[in-house]
Amino acid sequence: MLNDIFIAPFADMIAAPDFLLQVLWEGLVSGILYALIALGLVLIFRSSRIFNFAQGIMVVFAALTLVGLYQMGLPAWVSVAATLAVMFALAWSIERVVLRPLVGQPDIILFMATIGITLFLIGFGEIIFGGETKQMITAELGIPTGSITLEPWGGLLILEEKDITIVIVAGLLVAGLLAFLGKTRMGRAIRALGDDHQAAMSVGISLQTIWVLVWFIAGMIALVTGVAWGARAGVSFALEVIAYKALPVLMLGGLESISGAIIGGLMIGMLEKLFEIYWGQPLLGGNTETWFAFVLALIVLLFRPQGLFGEKIIERV
Amino acid sequence: MKHWKTLAAAAVVSSFGAAALAESIYVPNLSYRTGPFAATGIPLMNGQRDYFEMLNARDGGIGGVMIDFEECETGYSTEKGVECYEKTKGNAVVTQPWSTGITLQVLPKSNVDQIPILANGYGFSPMADGRTFQWAFNAPAGYWDAASMLITHLDGLDGGLSGKKVAFLHLDHPYGKEPIPLYEKLASEKGFEFLPIPVGLKEMQNQSAQWLQIRRERPDYVVMWGWGAMNAGAITEAVKTKFDMSKFYGVWWSGHDADLDLVGADGAGYKSISWSFPNPDAGVMADIKTHVVDTGKTLSNPDEMAGVFYGRGVVMSMILAEAIAGAQAEFDTGVVTPDQVRWGLENLNLTEERLAELGMEGMVPPFSTSCADHTGHSGAWILEWDGEKFAKASDLLQADVDGYSELLAASAKEYAEANAPWPVNESCDAMN
Repeated sequence: MLNDIFIAPFADMIAAPDFLLQVLWEGLVSGILYALIALGLVLIFRSSRIFNFAQGIMVVFAALTLVGLYQMGLPAWVSVAATLAVMFALAWSIERVVLRPLVGQPDIILFMATIGITLFLIGFGEIIFGGETKQMITAELGIPTGSITLEPWGGLLILEEKDITIVIVAGLLVAGLLAFLGKTRMGRAIRALGDDHQAAMSVGISLQTIWVLVWFIAGMIALVTGVAWGARAGVSFALEVIAYKALPVLMLGGLESISGAIIGGLMIGMLEKLFEIYWGQPLLGGNTETWFAFVLALIVLLFRPQGLFGEKIIERV
Repeated sequence: MKHWKTLAAAAVVSSFGAAALAESIYVPNLSYRTGPFAATGIPLMNGQRDYFEMLNARDGGIGGVMIDFEECETGYSTEKGVECYEKTKGNAVVTQPWSTGITLQVLPKSNVDQIPILANGYGFSPMADGRTFQWAFNAPAGYWDAASMLITHLDGLDGGLSGKKVAFLHLDHPYGKEPIPLYEKLASEKGFEFLPIPVGLKEMQNQSAQWLQIRRERPDYVVMWGWGAMNAGAITEAVKTKFDMSKFYGVWWSGHDADLDLVGADGAGYKSISWSFPNPDAGVMADIKTHVVDTGKTLSNPDEMAGVFYGRGVVMSMILAEAIAGAQAEFDTGVVTPDQVRWGLENLNLTEERLAELGMEGMVPPFSTSCADHTGHSGAWILEWDGEKFAKASDLLQADVDGYSELLAASAKEYAEANAPWPVNESCDAMN
């Protein structure tokens, strides 16, 4: 048994390094997608202290809207622009109809409101788009669909071109987001609201405007995530459950840290894949990805309750 | 817009129907048109619904009594399914649980409520033992039939299965685990290595780990017991990892045209075993077009109606309709009771001639049920995806029922003992 746990997995990695690279690559791609979902959650939490339970369904809704508009006859990139307009309208509606009347209410009320948004979007989406799996318009968006086959150490490494595109686009998105938050007035306003609502509002920052903006950015991230996941296995309401994988990412990275969401997502994506392949499948019968990330996050919380990158909250009485 | 119109039409039709059905036969369906499994559920539910709509419009129901067909949405959730069962059981002559998980929950209630369970091609395979499960039916074929036929088929290819490896990619759910006991038995008998690979509900669309395992283990065949988004996830991963699609087989719930449409020509060679086959030229399809499609009552569309799953939904409702008609004739009544429908399900006799009369030539193999046999063991065909559609790729296969009868009897006995006191239908012994 000790050999199976401490020796054999590493021997396997050394014996087949090309396979190890493939495992790490698949983990990286999954991790980036987890990180994108977590990023949407962190942005909204930072600016409004709301844990947005609806981020998963926003991914589905954005992807279905894109495909639906394309099927209505709009060109692919016009459909993207129109989808962004829909996500803006959604953000505005959420702020106006759901959040504004609840300003000042306890956090749990706002959290419950996002569950309500989730249920609404599930029902509304199914009425508009139906429950069938849709094909993502991958090629129409110019995303390459072939694959690159490499032979490192005489082995085999298959890189899907759409996965490479996802990695690049996600990287650009994160870089753009960090630049926006750090270099622009609006970005600084979002950060200011995250630090202290009262102080930010006292210097003229509009809570309503920032909330609309933040929910819209979360919608944009949802669209990118939806395109990425949808390109892998179609667009359906099953995508929503993937959002639950963002929960351990947030536990690991911290609810308020953008870098925590990214690093947490990548860590979980790669570690869960490594554990599943080298320990889970040989020793536990597989399917450890269902729980591994949560166990990892719980272990981290034992030592750092605020997560690896979260800020330690000190409340003075 | 299309869905708004169809939903509005459905609402009008069902509200009108409810008022009009003063004397009717209530047939609930625990359906799922929402959630992660909706994509595979919708065409099946549409086929089921349209067949009864057609009977009501063409024949005034069955034996002159209208069918009050009502869906209760479960989202494939076992908890919601049980709620739906409780909600609909009052006037129901049958319950169609539509998930192995829900079937297993409802099964112990069947003896108390005395409502037959009809789980066409799913559920708990030992339900075939009508002596033990007198209220449960899984005609025309069960999962153990599928496993037996697939293994027999694979054993007949390329020198047999001895010494080979078969990976079993399955949903980590009661449905996916159901045939494992038989696969393990067959593996020891035929000398092949059986490798179960579970897919969690949250991993259905991200199966890279499972397909990395398949790449590492290099199985000779992959057999899939998938459902909902898992099918599309597996097929796209198989294409991505360049797995030889001709070595990839699925059970009948893993043979949905829309899942293969996602990969198109790259999926050519993938096979699914199936006890149903779509026949757009069949008489029943023409009647559905005339009485349901052309009158705006369908929720389906032409593409879906040409597919395997819609046709299977039609076959499922036909089986139930035949049981109801048989019960009406036997008991000389119009409005049948659950007990009478149970008799009808136990005395199905769908011959080639009867299927031709029903306009269902080639859509399902002939089969019959009995007191002791609640499955019928119709056999099935291997269907192969040619890049655009499924085509028959084998003659009718038959399960080696005798080969697993001992295991089936033992499982039925074990279930009855675990749920004691469990009534057994002794009258079957006298008949057989």
